[in-house]
Amino acid sequence: MREVSVVGVGMVPFGKYRDKTLADIAWPAVKHAIQDAGVQKKDIEVAYCGTALGGMMSGQRILKSVGITGLPIVNVENACSSSSSAFRQAWIGVASGIYDVALVIGVEKLTKFGGGTLPLEKEDFEVTHGLVMPALYGMRAQRYMHDFGLAPDTLAKVAVKARAHGALNEDAQFRKPVTVEEVMAARAVAEPFTLLHCCPSGDGAAAAVICPTEMAARFTSKAPIRVLASEVNSGRYMTGFRDMTTPEITVRGAHEAYEIAGVGPEDLDVLEVHDAFTIAEILYYEALGLCARGDAARLIEDGDTSLGGRIPVNPSGGLLAKGHPIGATGVAQIVEVVRQLRGECRNRQVEGAKVALTHCTGGGISGFDHGACSIHIFAR
Amino acid sequence: MGEAPFLPGDGIAIGDDGRPRLTGSECADCGARVYPAVAVCHACMSENLRPLALSPVGTLYSWSVVHVAPKGWTTPYIAAYVDLPEGVRVFTHVVGTYAACLAIDMKMRLCTAVLGTGEDGKPMASYAFTPD
Repeated sequence: MREVSVVGVGMVPFGKYRDKTLADIAWPAVKHAIQDAGVQKKDIEVAYCGTALGGMMSGQRILKSVGITGLPIVNVENACSSSSSAFRQAWIGVASGIYDVALVIGVEKLTKFGGGTLPLEKEDFEVTHGLVMPALYGMRAQRYMHDFGLAPDTLAKVAVKARAHGALNEDAQFRKPVTVEEVMAARAVAEPFTLLHCCPSGDGAAAAVICPTEMAARFTSKAPIRVLASEVNSGRYMTGFRDMTTPEITVRGAHEAYEIAGVGPEDLDVLEVHDAFTIAEILYYEALGLCARGDAARLIEDGDTSLGGRIPVNPSGGLLAKGHPIGATGVAQIVEVVRQLRGECRNRQVEGAKVALTHCTGGGISGFDHGACSIHIFAR
Repeated sequence: MGEAPFLPGDGIAIGDDGRPRLTGSECADCGARVYPAVAVCHACMSENLRPLALSPVGTLYSWSVVHVAPKGWTTPYIAAYVDLPEGVRVFTHVVGTYAACLAIDMKMRLCTAVLGTGEDGKPMASYAFTPD
């Protein structure tokens, strides 16, 4: 396998683009990534497009806008992990030597569904009985608070941190900071969550161009951002009792990714994790090995994971503030860490960041912690 | 409410005592247990499955009061997981109580309830649990 690097990234600000088509939301992100990489359209040999609800031929609909056609275009669906899974497919193609230059797109338009909770698969038993994603995470939160004594205001501080970071990111859907009091007083969604504990619904797109590291200098003078590990897992189906305070799929995936990359959590400078709800970030600190079981609250309370802290998590604002157009999220996380590792993030820059991790998990289906999880580790 | 049809796949039977029971599946070859009932064993792929009568009493693993839900569900409602002695966890609504009265690991008993209104305008009934 060849070492692969990200050479170009682009995204559009996450938000609500009700009047735009999926293709019109996405092509600017694609154009930015291609220009950032310095590649020509003809250099791109394959494209993977991750979207959960974008519909048939999303990649073709987007790429015809910018005239990138006739190449293999593969559309990838893996719920919230759709575009991180697409990135892995592209990585396999380039690392194996089949392709030299690959384009990855993540895209979603959730405003087409109106508002409310994410539409889930109607064939699923628990969904037919009223399971919604906020309730699933809400149950994780209630159990974690019971088992580990997590205080409601500490949970609210996860949202406060996310909004503080998002305020510094021009691509974030929410750019207004909030207080603990505002988080706690917002309207209830699924207890213990108020609206501000939940990622917003919205639209967006992100794109990345990858090639073998040894080829990067042909296209760009920017530092290639090396892929140290590219990993995708599915959840383990369990019909019996499972501990919902530790997401087994993330624990397993992180272990694999660290082993592949030859780094550990202590080597990371910055992370983008799947904070769909406040409790998720707490669970992932532990699952990714940033702290011991039950100790995640301390990282929030001590500011360790805030910008300027020991190990900043979600400098982009994360799903809670940057937004979560679900299929776009995986590549958008990669866009953020590539910019962090290049030192391009100005007032939200993690100084001297050299190693970064992205973590994207998704899919509420009966019997799984999550249906899918994708973890990537990058280094400059 | 006795007239309202139960949601498909629930496996609810009303016993001689007038109380509901849930039926899952048990693999006759490897013993794996599952609710709701299935046609193939997820553990060993056997199709030799027999009905498994589940205990009507279990313990509350966790819950969340749901205020925002798709059309049809009567909100707010309490979504929960209840663990049954057979080793099976069941997603359920909790009825007949207030969230403030709930505690993790408390004993819960099976019942039936109308949980919302179906697309056809008819009441949507299913199993539920209530504090024992």
